[in-house]
Amino acid sequence: MKKWLVILFILWIPLPALADLPAIELEAAPIKRGDVESIKRGAKVFAGTCMACHTLKYLRYDKLARRAGVTYEKMPINVKWPQGSVPPDLSLEADARGVDWIYTYLHSFYLDPSRPTGFNNLLVPNTMMPDMVMSLQGPQALSSDYRLSRTLNHEWRWYDLLVLQQQGRMSPQEFDATIADLVNFLDYAAEPYYMESVHIGARVLAYLLVLFILMYLLKREYWKDVKKK
Amino acid sequence: MRTHRLSLRNAGIWINDRFPLRDFWRHHMTHYFAPRNFNFWYYFGSFSLLVLVNQIVTGIWLAMDYTPTAGEAFSSIQHIMRDVHYGWLLRLMHSTGASAFFVVIYLHMYRGLIYGSYKSPRELLWLIGMLLYVTLLLEAFTGYVLPWGQMSYWGAEVITSFASAIPYVGKFLVVWLRGDYSISGVTLHRFFSLHVIAVPLVILVLVFLHLVALHFVGSNNPDGIDINKAKKDKDSMPVGTIPFQPYYVLKDMVGIVVFLAIFFYIVFYMPKMAGIFLEAENFVPANAMQTPDHIAPVWYMTPFYAILRAIPNKMMGLSAMAAAIALMFVLPWLDRSKVRSIRYKGVWSKVAVSVFVVSFIGLGYVGIQPVSPVRSVMAQIFTVGYFAFFLLMPIYTAREKTKPLPGHLTP
Repeated sequence: MKKWLVILFILWIPLPALADLPAIELEAAPIKRGDVESIKRGAKVFAGTCMACHTLKYLRYDKLARRAGVTYEKMPINVKWPQGSVPPDLSLEADARGVDWIYTYLHSFYLDPSRPTGFNNLLVPNTMMPDMVMSLQGPQALSSDYRLSRTLNHEWRWYDLLVLQQQGRMSPQEFDATIADLVNFLDYAAEPYYMESVHIGARVLAYLLVLFILMYLLKREYWKDVKKK
Repeated sequence: MRTHRLSLRNAGIWINDRFPLRDFWRHHMTHYFAPRNFNFWYYFGSFSLLVLVNQIVTGIWLAMDYTPTAGEAFSSIQHIMRDVHYGWLLRLMHSTGASAFFVVIYLHMYRGLIYGSYKSPRELLWLIGMLLYVTLLLEAFTGYVLPWGQMSYWGAEVITSFASAIPYVGKFLVVWLRGDYSISGVTLHRFFSLHVIAVPLVILVLVFLHLVALHFVGSNNPDGIDINKAKKDKDSMPVGTIPFQPYYVLKDMVGIVVFLAIFFYIVFYMPKMAGIFLEAENFVPANAMQTPDHIAPVWYMTPFYAILRAIPNKMMGLSAMAAAIALMFVLPWLDRSKVRSIRYKGVWSKVAVSVFVVSFIGLGYVGIQPVSPVRSVMAQIFTVGYFAFFLLMPIYTAREKTKPLPGHLTP
């Protein structure tokens, strides 16, 4: 019995140290698509925080900015980056990754002195991006005892693994709302036609409904004499 | 010579003296007699014609703004989506149309399958239809490369590499197909040419031949009985038939409106269909240096892709995939049943069709998903089901007890 306990103990010890962090589930981004006010707020956050490094080359504003004389050549994106990695263009990020992914990614940064940037991310381990939202959210650290808090009935979420060290400029609620706005803006950037699509869609479907009624009545009238045969 | 007053009627006479317009209309519309008991399954032929028109019309406008070069292709699509007036609508109608095409074609083929529409005298009609299906797969594949996203690139890389498994000439063939040692701008440009000119021309010719064959042998019906042999009534119409125009034109119009409502609901509200119609990976520009974690063709090709993956040996897998399509071609000669329709076939045919449907959908599902041990076993089971349906058909259709055929069409 004692021997077994020792073996169990030996088996148990190195496990948390060796194993990678568990994969986390995506958080559903609480956005309302096409909410213009939210998109505008998100655009401001993007301009103030993200645009230092990221482009939105397919968005029309970007073209306007170029014409207005914004010098993209001097943006950090075009300056040398370590290991040749360049911050990606985010025009289609919401299509390629999904809004939930971006929302979760921006929530799951943590301090990691082993990284050159000083930060790491749960969703993209060893990400090249520093925690640009830390001033808003506050620094987060990897929880040392997260394995003990493992509950059986749900998958790992970013907040199971990370602990807020100190609140940033925003409360967690404000931070969530701000990131939601930012994600909403990126969703708009990926599909700027969405509102027009919803608008036209309703009219097209209404037209087809009327057409269906007329067509059905016409067909029924003609087919009256078929049934008798 | 008498002078004619300019009128619509006289214009009609003038044309019909020179071109068989009236005869054509009579022969193919007002005096094309179709069984009166067409059900739900008979809509999909006209739907596929409608989708074909949609693809051609939207395709013409897309080609006006699309640039088929490796450097420009991806951003020209974004130009269409953002800067071209209603460009997003044209493109989403085209991309949704591609999936819709396969939905209606698969249901159309299923109709032929359950009612025995491939049996004598409609073998050639079925063969032309099968050629159309394969040509359509080619059209879809060449078209999928054009957005030049990651899945376009790697999908093309994987699918063209299939040719390398062919003994002796394989390696040469792959380079010949791609025009390069890997997928490149050269491949993109030639696929564009094939997609907008070569393959559509073949499709149009085959659609024409499909309709010629159909109107020569006449439509089958859910009972699978010969109505052309039935005696004719006083209007010289076979008993149980009605003129295509106006009856089926109007009925199809009702169906078309319903189809369009579903189609446009998807176009306007869910064009990506949760990544099934437009895959997330394809919103990332093609990058030869970065292989995606999981490469899969679009959903309509995944049943065959799953058969390929189910067999560990590449050459054997490709042969099985080719055989899976080839067996559909020879269906008319595998079915030995006395009756056409599933309604009068025996219980074994019904079991077999059920196994086939489950296997085909199952293969399609497994083919979309990444490989896992459980899914590999599932794919193998479904592959066996798929082949059993075809290969055992000569046995179960010949031996089973069929029900007696009715003398006339049932409602």
